Amino acid sequence: MKGDTASSSASFDPANLRRTVLEMAFAGSTVHIPCAFSIIEILSVLHRSFLTYPSNDPDANGRDYLVLSKGHGVMAQYACMRERGWLNDTDISGYFSDGSHLKGLSDSRVRGLEVTSGSLGHGFSVAVGLALAAQLNQSQQMVYAIVGDGELNEGPIWEGSLFAAHHKLGQFMVIVDENGYQAMGATRDILNLGSVQSKFESFGFQACTVDGHDMVAIESAIRRLWQQGDETPKALVAKTIKGKGVPFMENDNTWHYTRLDATTYGQAVEALGFGRR
Amino acid sequence: MRATFSDTLVRIAAQDSRVLLLTGDHGYSLFDAFRRSFPQRYINAGVAEQNMVGMAAGLARAGFRPFVYGLSAFIPVRVLEQIKLDVAHDNLPVVFIGDGAGFVYSHLGTSHQATEDIACTRAVPQLAVFSPADRYELSMCMEQAYAMHKPVYVRLGKADRGDVHAGPVPAKAIGELFRIRGGTRGGLAMVATGSLVRTAVSLAEADFEDATVWSAPFLKPMNVDQVADICESSQAVVTLEEHSIYGGLGSLISEISTATRPTRILRVGVQDRFSLHCGSYEYLLREHELDFESIRRKISETILPSERYVQRAAN
Repeated sequence: MKGDTASSSASFDPANLRRTVLEMAFAGSTVHIPCAFSIIEILSVLHRSFLTYPSNDPDANGRDYLVLSKGHGVMAQYACMRERGWLNDTDISGYFSDGSHLKGLSDSRVRGLEVTSGSLGHGFSVAVGLALAAQLNQSQQMVYAIVGDGELNEGPIWEGSLFAAHHKLGQFMVIVDENGYQAMGATRDILNLGSVQSKFESFGFQACTVDGHDMVAIESAIRRLWQQGDETPKALVAKTIKGKGVPFMENDNTWHYTRLDATTYGQAVEALGFGRR
Repeated sequence: MRATFSDTLVRIAAQDSRVLLLTGDHGYSLFDAFRRSFPQRYINAGVAEQNMVGMAAGLARAGFRPFVYGLSAFIPVRVLEQIKLDVAHDNLPVVFIGDGAGFVYSHLGTSHQATEDIACTRAVPQLAVFSPADRYELSMCMEQAYAMHKPVYVRLGKADRGDVHAGPVPAKAIGELFRIRGGTRGGLAMVATGSLVRTAVSLAEADFEDATVWSAPFLKPMNVDQVADICESSQAVVTLEEHSIYGGLGSLISEISTATRPTRILRVGVQDRFSLHCGSYEYLLREHELDFESIRRKISETILPSERYVQRAAN
């Protein structure tokens, strides 16, 4: 749960992480920027304070598991992997070039990504299996599954939630990136979720809701949840803003499928507080 | 076959404490021995097959050796994407057992009948597909599936059709076919899998005495050279399976034959349709023209007049 959390040079500063996302998205002319931006602070807190990687090895035995079930946000994790030294500048600048290994969705063949996801509702169940394995092995590994709120439409999320509660998988935490949007519009207009926290509570989780861009709040909420004991799975509902950090992307769902051009790239980098390029 | 399944599973689990059994709330009484021996390693995941397969992937990632049991209509058909993405993509050692394949659940209708499962699974990279014909092949297939340390789908069809082997079979190289009955070189070759191997033997004994009968417990990977040799040395090939004629054994043999030794192939299987009625297993085989008499007629009408008799007359 703690210790060996990052190499000494890694700060996981949210602005820097977002800048890496923009670099990749511009280099690869890719989409899915806003859903990466909404989980930046969540990932930053996990990498800074919770995830344990002995010797900073993404495949180390005994590591905690970060399962990015919402594979569409993968650029945010790539940005963290760059800070850990698992990716280099060429990986970033060569994003989406022919023959490159970093895909547009999470792929488990990339060291640092635990699952292949993007088809939604998969990583959650794999994470439940990892948590069951930790329970059977009596290991202290923690398993975090990051899911989108749109992803909560998927049935296996709720199948796995029943299982996690019934089998008392206390080392399992789902973190919901509740940014209020899915591909084609607002979640409340497509399949209204109501209270996400209440839903997980009714499935037997210890749950709480937090501002998903307030890093102090996220960190203390995760600590509080882990202190709830090892008999129940945990759910952290992070209220986030899709596109957070670049005002013209925030809550504008057209950016889910919009690519950067030289102008918008420059504007976005500037909006993060960096000088115009 | 069911007792063999249980015995083999218990034997494998006794050797390896990482072996787990996951079931989607199916297998009534089938797992009594396993549960008695290894209560902590029996996991009823509930009626939630998608999550079960995802969890199996997580367990395999962490070093366990899950056997995932369900009816073949659900495992693998319902959860094909989980098998593809969560398991096969990373070559994780999960063994899927799909029970009741074909028309075993003859009274229950289409929801519980699976005649497309081989076609589905064959096309998934890194996933092996086994289809044992009797208890001896089943035991061997399960041992091989465990030993491969890869994703494997084991298809279990009608379990009470009797043995085709006289006794335990050796652990064949994966992909090899078993010659069940010797025939005449240049005669008919019957290549069958699962429940219809027994039928093929009966047909050969009764009406096609020159026929060589082969059982194919391994559908993927398959020994291409051996199949090419069978095609080469036979007047014609009849494939028999309780599965669609699209994408199963018949397609597989045809693909190999086309690429190596083109020959005449009659594919006996389920035509492109669902069951219309319910009834006994034997009734449904008749409805789909997979009973002894229908197959005998089909072979006689399709192959005998045009080829075998002419060939014999010429000789």
